[in-house]
Amino acid sequence: MERKIIDKLKKELSGITVSGDLKSLWKKYLSKEGEVKLMLKKIAKMSPEEKSAQGTIIQEIYEEAVALFKEKEEFLRQKGGDENLKKQAENLGYEIPKVGHLHPITQTIRMLNKIFMDMGYSIMDGPEIEVDEFCFQRLNVPSNHPARDMQDTLYIKEPDVLLRTQTSSVEAHVLATYKPPFKVVCPGRVYRNEKVNKSNHFIFHHYQGIVVMEKVGLKDLFGTVSHLFKKIYGPDVKIRFRNKYYPEVEPGVGPDMQCFNCQGGGCPLCKGLGWIEMGGAGIIHPNVLSMAKIDNKKWMGFAFGLGLDRWVMAKYNITDIRTLLGGNLGYKYYENENTL
Amino acid sequence: MPKLTASPKEVGEALTLTGFMMDGFEEIEYNNKKDYLIGLEIRQNRADCLSVIGIAREIAAYYGLAVEYPQLGDMDLGEEALNIKVNAPDSIKRIQAVRIDNVENKESPQWLKQYLSCYEINSINLLVDLSNYVMIFTGYPSHIMDKDKIGDVIRWEIGKDFGEITTLDGTKIKLNKDELIIRDDKSAIALAGMIGAQYGSIDANSKSIVVEMAVYDRVIVRKNSRSLRIITEASGRLEKDLDPEGTDYAMGLLLSLIKKHCGGKIASEMFDYYPDKKINQAILFDPKMPSVYAGVEISREKVIKALKNLRFEIAEEEEMLKVTTPSGRTDIFLEQDLVEEVVRLYGYNNIPTDALPALAITEDITPRHLNIIEKIKDILSALSYDEVLTWPLTKKGYNAIVNYKEMGEALIQNSVNEGLCELRQSMASGLLTQLGEYQKKNVEYINIFETGKIFGKSAGKYLEYDMLGILLYDKGKAIDRLRTTAEALLRELGISEIHYKNAGRKPGIANPYSCWNIFASEENLGIIYKTRSSEQINIAEGNVYFAELDIANLVKSLDKTLAKPTLEITKKIVILDANVVLEAGESINDRVKDIRKKIGESNIWSLIIKDIYKLPGDKIRYTVRVSYKELGDQEAKELHLNSFGLNKK
Repeated sequence: MERKIIDKLKKELSGITVSGDLKSLWKKYLSKEGEVKLMLKKIAKMSPEEKSAQGTIIQEIYEEAVALFKEKEEFLRQKGGDENLKKQAENLGYEIPKVGHLHPITQTIRMLNKIFMDMGYSIMDGPEIEVDEFCFQRLNVPSNHPARDMQDTLYIKEPDVLLRTQTSSVEAHVLATYKPPFKVVCPGRVYRNEKVNKSNHFIFHHYQGIVVMEKVGLKDLFGTVSHLFKKIYGPDVKIRFRNKYYPEVEPGVGPDMQCFNCQGGGCPLCKGLGWIEMGGAGIIHPNVLSMAKIDNKKWMGFAFGLGLDRWVMAKYNITDIRTLLGGNLGYKYYENENTL
Repeated sequence: MPKLTASPKEVGEALTLTGFMMDGFEEIEYNNKKDYLIGLEIRQNRADCLSVIGIAREIAAYYGLAVEYPQLGDMDLGEEALNIKVNAPDSIKRIQAVRIDNVENKESPQWLKQYLSCYEINSINLLVDLSNYVMIFTGYPSHIMDKDKIGDVIRWEIGKDFGEITTLDGTKIKLNKDELIIRDDKSAIALAGMIGAQYGSIDANSKSIVVEMAVYDRVIVRKNSRSLRIITEASGRLEKDLDPEGTDYAMGLLLSLIKKHCGGKIASEMFDYYPDKKINQAILFDPKMPSVYAGVEISREKVIKALKNLRFEIAEEEEMLKVTTPSGRTDIFLEQDLVEEVVRLYGYNNIPTDALPALAITEDITPRHLNIIEKIKDILSALSYDEVLTWPLTKKGYNAIVNYKEMGEALIQNSVNEGLCELRQSMASGLLTQLGEYQKKNVEYINIFETGKIFGKSAGKYLEYDMLGILLYDKGKAIDRLRTTAEALLRELGISEIHYKNAGRKPGIANPYSCWNIFASEENLGIIYKTRSSEQINIAEGNVYFAELDIANLVKSLDKTLAKPTLEITKKIVILDANVVLEAGESINDRVKDIRKKIGESNIWSLIIKDIYKLPGDKIRYTVRVSYKELGDQEAKELHLNSFGLNKK
């Protein structure tokens, strides 16, 4: 008969969904006037026989009722917590972050700088407004050399002040400023008096290298330039070195790369020659060293200069050189390249 | 070169390696036989190689063969002296001239026409064609005048008397009156070294002719050629350093050919103006030098053989060689010139290329600002800005609205475009142009930056500064977004104590009420402003913001800053606010500096202005938030009250 109260409690507890109702039910069964409490109170008035017959049962009913309430309370507490977490929960959105980009010229210069910094070279820059002395004279360019013409050089104040036509002017500054030995590369913007069209621009980018040591030769220069090309184009790239004239070097060198498009067979890209000219190089002319007050009996050096723009255009599939400087260069908002 | 067995392609490749790059190779038909036309890039210092003979000598040197030259016939000169006056001695190295009478000028034979066509030279008549043939063959241009059409005296002088000349092809050329000309008493006969005039020119009826061959100072030929914009086969050769010795053979060949094909008799003696006879110089040469320069061993024997193949005369003087340059070689002055001769003939292809040189370790001399520029690029791209590169030349008038520095403009005298002759005075010019291009193409998210130079002029000196420009476009208000970008950049670089002051000099393009200079401590780093709409910036909707930082000042600021942001946290940070009320015109920066001093840098985790509120009567209330480190609550509170003057005790 006493166990029926537990069945009734279980039934009523199963219908409870919020903690407020649980408190009311607690009051009904386990408060001072609650049904189970009243049963407990009756034990005190029972005879010893009744106590031994029913007291233990009532005590068990009380303990079971308390346990049922605790179980329900824990259940409701857990249930309430989930609701709360659900309320606080957030979903992933669909917005893609816009990423920033570095210019292809910067990317290329960095790639080259990394190759040379790994070999212990320093990076150098110099003025873009130059004087004839540093752009031409100190590089052994004769006074009547075609490069000095108004048709080739952009002058600010002819004949002395101009926009540098080559990063060799940085070489002249480095030679004049630092004591050898040194190894330096100078990426930079240069200017020529060129009509701007799809293939030509009056602004382009050079990459100059200068090494002055007590003893360096063509073998060192060739090894360095070969290493550079192999790093960029892979170990199988074919390179040739031919004699070429530049006033600032003696002997002069023209490094060529076998055309990657036709593998030397001849195609429009290489003008049918099978080779692509990659720049100029050579052993620094003794006059260039002596004009910088460097003892040309003690010190030797090599220098090389490469044009960057064509490389960049080939790498990034850019067909119009004007794209590189203002105008049409765009970046996809959400994509970036892996340069590592 | 009868003994040459190499194929034409091999010859072209050999010339390429030794300094004359083959830039064309064509199979042709010549004299009814298969033949080859090799196009070559001729080194600028090898005037002797602008000729068939010069290139033949190079091929002979490479293969160790001898060149057989065409034999000259008997000259059989006359006795009459030509009446030639040379009035410009500084510009002339040598003139040779003769008169030939009773020549028969006519159409050229087919072989000659075809020969000249290979060089893209049209046939005119036999005499002119023979003159051109000899130029191609020997490298020496010549000029033939009709003696019956000109006066008795021929003069070489700077042509002050004539304002115009009509050239052989009928073109009228306005003269600057500082050109070297050939003239008689009436008119100009030729622009010396460039082109003949119609006056005095030969034709099919010419019977008595004067043939002249000259070598000029190359500078005047180049100068005249460029200033008159006349570039001819002759000027292309005579603006190089041609050896005056070579006219003897070239003139002899021309006269032989005229005699053979046109008949006639040389009526005059040879006029030969040659005041400074060229002497081939001798150089004392250490034969070990080629090995040092090449980095591989080249024996003494090989050195001597290479030089002899190139026609140098060698006299052995113990360990050294006395090397005398051959005629035609006006490019050899130094031992290093001889080194190049030896090594190019030895072959660059025989020097190893596979070994990375073990060069000595050298000091890193990279200037600091270059590393900082690279870091700036990384930070801004991480902040979602795109790098662009723009033209440093700007449209006329652009500098006037973007410049805010005290400097004049640097202008290009011969700009590629008349409308673009000003060098930019602010990075704003290029970035605003880029903005316009992006807007035309409907590009969104225009957050762009560029590092580069700006230019100016002050006190007669040309100036350039390394700058960073940042441009932000937004349809809404966004000046503070750009400010936080600039400030994040500066703080990421290690610069603190950043504050802003109403800009002293404002660019015309800036909204004067939204234009500030950016300071780090006392160093003026640059400017930040909102632009106003103008003819140059035609933005349909939205706002444009621009900031510019001077990299050199930024580096200076970094040198002064000793920020030590890393520390050990052992106590809870105590955050306390305080209000500071200032009169209009009072500097919050000065007050903050004072407060920081009172608190002591060692106690500050951070100090920021949390709020600004305008009070009645032109006063401003700043709420300053200080985060204290390594202090207990009470200690921090006490210090806070004391530092802000709020302690009522």
